[in-house]
Amino acid sequence: MTDLLASYRAGGPGHDEMLQSSGAARAAWDQLADLAGVGSWEQLAGRRADVQALLEDHGVRYGADPQDRPWLLDPLPVLLDEVEWAGLEAALRQRAHLLDAIVTDLYTQRRLLSSGALPAEIVLAHPGFLRAADGITIPGPHQLFLHGADLARNADGSWLVLADRTQAPTGLGFAMENRRVIAQVLAGLYRQARIRRLGPFYHAMRLALHDVAPPSAGDAPRVALLTSGPRSRTTFDQGYLATMLGYPMVEGEDLVVSDGRLWLRSLDEPEPVDVLIRRVEGAYCDPLDLRGDSKLGVPGLVHAARSGAVTVVNTFGSGVLENPALLTYLPRLCRELLGTDLLLGSAVTYWCGKRSMCSHVIANLDRLVLKTTESGGPEYNGWELSVGERADLAVRISAEPHRWVGQEPVDASTTPSVGAGALEARSTVLRTFAVARPSGYQVLSGALARVTPEHAQTVARVTLGAVAKDVWILSAEPQPISDPWLRDGAPDGPRRPTAKSISAGAAEDLFWFGRYAERTEATIRLVRAVTDRWDDDHLAPGSHGGQALAVLTAALEQVTTTGSLSELVTDAARPGTVAYAVDAMTRSATAVRDQLAPDTWIAMGSIERALNRERARRSQLGSSDGGLGPVLTRALEGSLALAGIGAESMVRDVGWTLMDIGRRIERAQQLVRTLLATVTTHRDPAVDSLVLESLLIAHESVITYRRRWQTHARLDTFCELLLLDERNPRSLAHQVSRIGAGFAALPTPAPRVLARDRLLADLVDLLAEFDPVAAVAPDGSGARPRLAEALESLRWRLEELGAEIAKAHFARPMPAEWLDAAGTWVPRADETDRPGAVGPDTKPPDGAGSAAYGSAP
Amino acid sequence: MSRAHQGDLHYRLTHTTTYTYPEEVTASYGRALLLPRRGAGQQVHASGLVVEPGADVVAEHKDWGGNRSTYFHVTQPHRRLRVTGHSVVSTGRRRADPARLPPVPWEQVAQQVRTLRPVAPGDPMGGPGAAVSIAESRLASPMVELSEEVREYALPSFEPGRPVAQVVAELATRIHTDFTYRPGATSVSTTLPEVLAGRAGVCQDFAHLLIGCVRSMGLAARYVSGYLETMPPPGREKLRGVDASHAWASVWLPGGGWLNTDPTNDQFIDARYVVLGWGRDYRDVSPLRGIVFTPGSGSTLEVGVDLWPIEQTDLADAVAEVETLVAPTTALV
Repeated sequence: MTDLLASYRAGGPGHDEMLQSSGAARAAWDQLADLAGVGSWEQLAGRRADVQALLEDHGVRYGADPQDRPWLLDPLPVLLDEVEWAGLEAALRQRAHLLDAIVTDLYTQRRLLSSGALPAEIVLAHPGFLRAADGITIPGPHQLFLHGADLARNADGSWLVLADRTQAPTGLGFAMENRRVIAQVLAGLYRQARIRRLGPFYHAMRLALHDVAPPSAGDAPRVALLTSGPRSRTTFDQGYLATMLGYPMVEGEDLVVSDGRLWLRSLDEPEPVDVLIRRVEGAYCDPLDLRGDSKLGVPGLVHAARSGAVTVVNTFGSGVLENPALLTYLPRLCRELLGTDLLLGSAVTYWCGKRSMCSHVIANLDRLVLKTTESGGPEYNGWELSVGERADLAVRISAEPHRWVGQEPVDASTTPSVGAGALEARSTVLRTFAVARPSGYQVLSGALARVTPEHAQTVARVTLGAVAKDVWILSAEPQPISDPWLRDGAPDGPRRPTAKSISAGAAEDLFWFGRYAERTEATIRLVRAVTDRWDDDHLAPGSHGGQALAVLTAALEQVTTTGSLSELVTDAARPGTVAYAVDAMTRSATAVRDQLAPDTWIAMGSIERALNRERARRSQLGSSDGGLGPVLTRALEGSLALAGIGAESMVRDVGWTLMDIGRRIERAQQLVRTLLATVTTHRDPAVDSLVLESLLIAHESVITYRRRWQTHARLDTFCELLLLDERNPRSLAHQVSRIGAGFAALPTPAPRVLARDRLLADLVDLLAEFDPVAAVAPDGSGARPRLAEALESLRWRLEELGAEIAKAHFARPMPAEWLDAAGTWVPRADETDRPGAVGPDTKPPDGAGSAAYGSAP
Repeated sequence: MSRAHQGDLHYRLTHTTTYTYPEEVTASYGRALLLPRRGAGQQVHASGLVVEPGADVVAEHKDWGGNRSTYFHVTQPHRRLRVTGHSVVSTGRRRADPARLPPVPWEQVAQQVRTLRPVAPGDPMGGPGAAVSIAESRLASPMVELSEEVREYALPSFEPGRPVAQVVAELATRIHTDFTYRPGATSVSTTLPEVLAGRAGVCQDFAHLLIGCVRSMGLAARYVSGYLETMPPPGREKLRGVDASHAWASVWLPGGGWLNTDPTNDQFIDARYVVLGWGRDYRDVSPLRGIVFTPGSGSTLEVGVDLWPIEQTDLADAVAEVETLVAPTTALV
């Protein structure tokens, strides 16, 4: 045992995963320390840095925004012995079975309710119980498809369930990502240790999804994952799971119920969907039969599920099983429904809906955890409340006792984790997963562990956002390597591709990904050109250079936004800055993770790292506009890498075409707007020449210009190179021609492309008629009216073109609720108001307007 | 209180809802609860839905509360959607006489409702389905929040030991006296405390209020959606389209089943009432709701109800008429 592990001390009287009560380490941990090369603090800190770097390269976040907190992962896994795991696995299978039996009864026979075995409030007053789901069943012997459980080990060493996750269990994507990262960082150990693999579970999940497909789906059912949207905190988890399983991730708007079945609105023909994995809370899945204000669902989905045309998992009403009050009744229900004793206990829970338990809870408020029965409700540690707060809470509980439970706190076992300068004992919670197969439930051989961010503490629940850990189940046998590509005796899939096109939503995200990637690059280049001029000339404002700097600075402000040069790079809150474009690009990419090459994340990660380093540097040095060179160069490198991935690593399909069109539209707009802000005024030729030089640099054309004309810059030849020369990949003519080629490659949703094509034809004509020599002639007052007019008519057409592309290809109709038809009630006029139109220049927010959101926790 | 009707009555019922949209609607999804429930004092000879323009799918199933729920989907582009429920119904309900109902004190009923076990032997709770319905009907629901104001309003009627039927009759009388019937005074989103403060509303509000009063004292009550035949003024002929949807409350009474009381008209129901269905509150049984896809916004709405009395000898003709009118429906079990 190494010194480092020897210095580790368990946190308290509870169970520790590494140390036995004697103080000696369990054998597995000894082996870990020897093999993993984590014997010293320096090594360990290095591993932690490796983990964070990999997570950044993979774009893993808890949330979609780069501003959201990163996904934190401790390098040391939780080790569990195979023999112990076998017992736990059996208990988890039983628990999934029990919950399956309960949910089946609640939505069909209702025997548990009519016999009084389960108090009515626990089911009928719980928001997870959906009356519209009554009578809907999925094919096969099980109604509960996927079960998640949060487990902790008690002081006596036994495992307890803190909460069941049945609505739309989160974490399968994170669990696999954790394994991928840790296996790489601890590669030596991972290869030598006999660790149970995670892969087979995901494979089983694919088979299970086929098991539950409607019989009409045939041999190759089509599956999709319904996401709660790119703004959900678990959007990485959803996207990664979809990618791993090989199914498209879709939003409610991308789906439509027609002819009694579910379809994916693709850019081409609609494609049928047979099985839908829902990551949207049940109540938000169908505005017709469930919450009418939901923008996340699909009208008619409940009907399609009821008629058996589509299978939705987990079934709509499965969220009722998350009621913690149910924990009190599970032992009894297990005997009643399965005829056996419950193998896996739960945290001791008192439901206040029963008078005796309620008075016990009120009398012990100071040592219990108090929470509401609905998921995501408030939760209090009684011992942290003041006397007055406890009195208020008692009043609230007494007013609606059936909505509250009290839980005995659990002294969860601790695991050594990398803290600040030492190994620290952190309380640990595991999230396990089980999926329904015809023969029974299959449990993931591993789990998503989370530890408390602080030193050991009592936990009743560790939220998903805490520090994560991988969980290794150590086996006596060597573990076969499983790979989804390995054949498993299953019949060959169909020869024709199952998925042909992409959804309109994914197409829109790729289009915006292209636009924001280009905007990032264009803004970096423009700021860099101005910065260079600033470095040379800001001390001599009266000189030609100083005047050119003033022209460029004003133009930069017009094209981007107001602010110091440094703010234009790093301020993410201000539209127009580099950082803003990077964030928007990341959000778009997150929404289409299943469409992008994995290397995309490395490139975006490097841009973000460059911006973060610059922010840190600024906060130390104070603000000054100098010294931006390095950050701009690093960020530009990332941008170039992205462009390269787009050019060399993506198949030229519809999605790529839209991404490229997005890039071209953006480049064309940026160019025209920059020229409008700079060259429409006639100045001293010496000043103009410097301005043009900077613009040529910003548009990557200065070398060509010098070689071709071998002179200082003149406006007419400048216009020829940047507007008319189709062979210059930075010219307007080049962008217009690429957009035209893109349109030709897209499926045509006629007649909606008429306006789009007319605008493009106008642009082509305008360029053909453009005479640089005539256009640049100044009038008597020092303006260049003809050039200004020509640029302006290009500018607005390019803007319109962007809007028309959105209308022709991405428009998905927005549903609205009917007026209430009660007859005697006068409906409110505002109930059918629809969200207003959105401008052409930024991606509209998802569910714009008074949308209601509901995503599974 | 008006005179009760005794004996069987027969009706030809149509309930038409017409939506007009400013711009073309490309798809419309509807959920209707417009076909009367069978049993519980009424016989449904024929019933069905007509959707204009035609619907691709019309499918019926029994919902959680046992009501007849219809789904339909219209894909034909339209600017006007008309949904009509047609039925032929015979009713035979007799108005309850409080003097002849079991004189169970309300506290005892509350206990029975809470435990779902009969207090005295020979007090059956009904079948297993009935027990679930009773249990559900004692809980708050989205439109019947059990606030302090509602309980305060209820209290004067709940004198200790008073039989439930008397409590309910008095509540109906009080609501009828204290509140003004005024269409437009409330909307689907008005809460019970707001109704209490405004002292005005429509039948749905009065039904919710009575239900709220009863539930806040621990009893079980549900919301009933249906119709009441309206009588023309003396000497005048009944006009078409003058009837309206109606709503009332139903309170559980051991030994007596569900006691239907109409606070809007301060009476227990009789054969002139036709039941569509019941639930916890309006939301569970709203006659028609839907989702529409259209580029325009807003719509106008017109509702016309005819509850037309017919003779027994005309039943066969009325059934034949309805059966030729209505579209074939898929039955989802």
